[in-house]
Amino acid sequence: MTINCKGEDLILSKHRAIYWEAQKMLIISDLHLGKGAYFRKAGIQIPVHVNTADLNTLTTLILEFNPDSLLITGDMFHHQMNSEAELFRQWRLQYPELKILLIKGNHDTLKAKDYSDLAIEIYPKEFLCKPFRFIHDQPAVTDDYYNITGHIHPGVTIYGKARQLIRLPCFYFGKTCAILPAFSAFTGLSKINAAKEDLFYAITPEKVVLV
Amino acid sequence: MILEKSKGYKQVIKWLKAKKKKPFKFQKDAWEYYAEGYSGLVNAPTGFGKTFSLFLAVVIDELNNRKAIKTTSKKGRKTSGLKLIWITPLRSLAKDLARAMREVCTELEMDWQIGVRNGDTPQNEKLKQKKQMPEVLIITPESMHLLLAQKNSLAYFDDLQCIVADEWHELLGSKRGVMAELAISRIKGLIKEKHPERLLRIWGISATIGNMEQALDVLVPYEEVLKITVTADVEKKIEIKSILPDHIDMLPWAGHLGHKLAYKLLPVIEKSKTTLIFCNTRGQAELWYQNLLKLDENLAGQIAIHHGSIDYELRNWIEEAIHTGILKAVISTSSLDLGVDFKPVDTVVQIGSPKGVARFLQRAGRSGHSPFETSKIYFLPTHALELVEAAAIKEAARTQNIESREPVVMAFDTLIQYMVTLAVGDGFDDKKLYDEVKSTFAFRELEPPEWSWMMQFITTGGDSLTAYTEFSKVEKEDGLWKVKSRQLAMRHRLHIGTIVSDAMLKVKYLTGGYIGMLEESFISRMKPGSSFTLAGRVLEFVMVKEMTVLVRRSKLKSAITPSWLGGRISLTANLGAILRKKYNQTLDQTHEDEELDIILPLFERQAKVSHVPKDDEFLIELIKTRDGYHFFAYPFEGRQVHEIMAALIAYRLGRVKPISFSIAMNDYGFELLSEQPIPLDEENVKLLFSPVNLGEDIVASINATEMARRKFRDIACISGLVFQGYPGKYVANKHLQSSSSLFFNVFSDYDKHNLLLRQAYDEAFYQQIEEPRLAAALHRIQASKVIIVKAESYTPLCFPIKVDSLRENMSTEELGARIAKMTAEADKKQTQRRKKNDHQL
Repeated sequence: MTINCKGEDLILSKHRAIYWEAQKMLIISDLHLGKGAYFRKAGIQIPVHVNTADLNTLTTLILEFNPDSLLITGDMFHHQMNSEAELFRQWRLQYPELKILLIKGNHDTLKAKDYSDLAIEIYPKEFLCKPFRFIHDQPAVTDDYYNITGHIHPGVTIYGKARQLIRLPCFYFGKTCAILPAFSAFTGLSKINAAKEDLFYAITPEKVVLV
Repeated sequence: MILEKSKGYKQVIKWLKAKKKKPFKFQKDAWEYYAEGYSGLVNAPTGFGKTFSLFLAVVIDELNNRKAIKTTSKKGRKTSGLKLIWITPLRSLAKDLARAMREVCTELEMDWQIGVRNGDTPQNEKLKQKKQMPEVLIITPESMHLLLAQKNSLAYFDDLQCIVADEWHELLGSKRGVMAELAISRIKGLIKEKHPERLLRIWGISATIGNMEQALDVLVPYEEVLKITVTADVEKKIEIKSILPDHIDMLPWAGHLGHKLAYKLLPVIEKSKTTLIFCNTRGQAELWYQNLLKLDENLAGQIAIHHGSIDYELRNWIEEAIHTGILKAVISTSSLDLGVDFKPVDTVVQIGSPKGVARFLQRAGRSGHSPFETSKIYFLPTHALELVEAAAIKEAARTQNIESREPVVMAFDTLIQYMVTLAVGDGFDDKKLYDEVKSTFAFRELEPPEWSWMMQFITTGGDSLTAYTEFSKVEKEDGLWKVKSRQLAMRHRLHIGTIVSDAMLKVKYLTGGYIGMLEESFISRMKPGSSFTLAGRVLEFVMVKEMTVLVRRSKLKSAITPSWLGGRISLTANLGAILRKKYNQTLDQTHEDEELDIILPLFERQAKVSHVPKDDEFLIELIKTRDGYHFFAYPFEGRQVHEIMAALIAYRLGRVKPISFSIAMNDYGFELLSEQPIPLDEENVKLLFSPVNLGEDIVASINATEMARRKFRDIACISGLVFQGYPGKYVANKHLQSSSSLFFNVFSDYDKHNLLLRQAYDEAFYQQIEEPRLAAALHRIQASKVIIVKAESYTPLCFPIKVDSLRENMSTEELGARIAKMTAEADKKQTQRRKKNDHQL
């Protein structure tokens, strides 16, 4: 689904990513690499396929859009380097041309060297690219830039007949700020308090729909 | 009897005589069987000294064998080690039990220590027990597992003679029962290994339930053990009285509050010492509290409200106040169903249908506690048809037609928790443990592949095909499986148990002092300044801070009452069957129930506009109104079965022609409502209600995944995937935050063979969908005569269903007005016989 935001065409992919054609930039958020391994270390059983599935999805997106750069609006790594982060290193080797930009999120606590080894450009706070400001969490003060953020793993609840309901991850586009869905499949969803004119694009297994 | 000649027996009889007491026959029987080495189950009503039937058995045995011990151990140790483990489901019972047991020991000059161990036991007391176990330990199933999670716990059980499971009927149907089964199997295994010659007796105490024999099998599944059920021949007298309206028109056709009859309750409260008033939901209890105060201001300060969401301290205070008799009445939910005997309570009131015979009798038993005293219970109907239920309950009580408690089997989550518990303690040998676990009732069907899956789950973190290098939980050390990480062990100990509480926020005054707990979803709708009631107080919402709701006293007299989620209780099959029978009797007037006399006019009206189903008939009403085409069916199987049945029939009708429905139900029947005519006639009706292809059609018609997902919430907590944290406290490690729903998705997508996932579906099918009961109902309908009536307007029978579907999104006041209007409309229809059915809902 293609939408227009502040005069720019953005493609919302059902793989929980935005493709900004004009900049040849793929934008995702909250990848949480290594989360499964971190849980396993703590004695909680997470199937390893979760992580490989995330990386496979990323591959699918790269093949679909062939972007110049991949922008991650925070929480790329869940905690520290571990076996799953290692898997990412191998994945990275397949795409040496791809520029990766990371705006640091609250989870991103790797050492500077780890990032540079993986050829990831770090932006500690935000990344400006007119008309957008890419940032992990919404800033308190708004200005001319339209904020594109992540962090809260937005979800939307759709109510059906006979008290049926379904919760889906979604893209949120508000007045001053858009929120990306969490990219990783191993993440929860949280509700957003929305204003009337805000738009929600729910992600179903088949496609992205405006709700 | 040889026992009667024994020293210990004589000593006990003499002591009883001094207290002017004589043992009941069942007590003597139990002592006799105990002395002969039997295990078993004592079935006796409350108040007849069931505790003594077993405790004194152990005491007699001790007195008889005491000398032998003294001569062998010349050093004369002060304590002789743990002799008796007394499992009780309730912490609150422990104190009283210990007091009674201590009294016996002192008066018989035995130097036994009686210890209590549960969540309330202070740390220093636990340490003392660790050094020197008391002879008797009164313990909850959870604390028993905690004991097994300690290092060197084996030594505790060297001298153990007997394990008693008190209130076994309570534990039986829950995963806590499985915990007890597992702990017993372990202790039995340990004793067998160290002292193969020793005999461990396992006894239970249970109220009457439908499956007594099975209850014994679950507790003592061991073939080599002698076992017996000792049933008391004494009977508890129960007097059941309905609070009747002067005329049937005084009672609404539908509703759930029953405030209209509230004034008739005042004299009952007045003439009783203390009255317990049982409601079915917490919200209903709050409303009744307000209503009683409104009716009689003099009751202020003399009545209290007690339910599960009221702060622990406050509840303690109320319970204490009942004991001392300063309260005139207490409005409560199931939170007071069990527990200590309140001596001053001489009257019990049940508001609305109790939904089951066992629950009703249990509640009745809360009054008139001493033997031969009569328990007195009043039934206050909230709507007209509940009068029939009152008659049915009376009959069930008379014929002792009491529900069964289905034991929980194959609870993989509980087993996984137990395995880790042992690994946290002294570790376990997987082969030996498999045999022990397989010997329990809960896991007698356990297959080796399932066992190895669970071993892998806790050792490698998944199936054998994937190497999860980082995973560490249970590791092998010196041939035993153990948890090495201290941090993991500590976290596990904090989460032992199978009671998963809802995500609740604590409610606290700004000035300090906790009031109770509320669901997050309710609070999220509150704005600063808006008011609600909790624990009978009107509170003004201020803000939420650190998982605590801050409030101040409101000046308002009344405010909205929170609704707590949590399942509505469904009518049991036993009660449903008697209810159908009572429908026969009402019109025929072949009964002696005053309730049925009162309701007769309503039944005559039902017969006039539609039909009153006999117990070999199955009634379907088709009604067309402005809302659309209504289809009402009355299986009398309880709302839970009806919910599934309605979805099933809707699905099958949808196959006849594409049609969509909205669904409503209550305990008597269900409604399908559509904008199109419903393709149903005498020809296809039996086919629609056919039990053929039931399993497949259920899966196709309901969202089984959603149901399983809900069941998985508890499973994820119990098996240690998700950490609950404590009410009002943050989860310690933020990086480990996750939800059960997330695990459900992850396992569904990437680990289909996960046994916990399978358990979730099994639980959904057997507990939520109740497939066996649904199938039985359909078979019954097949054998019945189907009667299809096209009615012109809502009938007295369908009315409550219709109203129930409205209740979901309406406040009580609005609803009351609407019900009155609907009743009037139905009245009008009947007299005027208008052609058009266009009244508005």
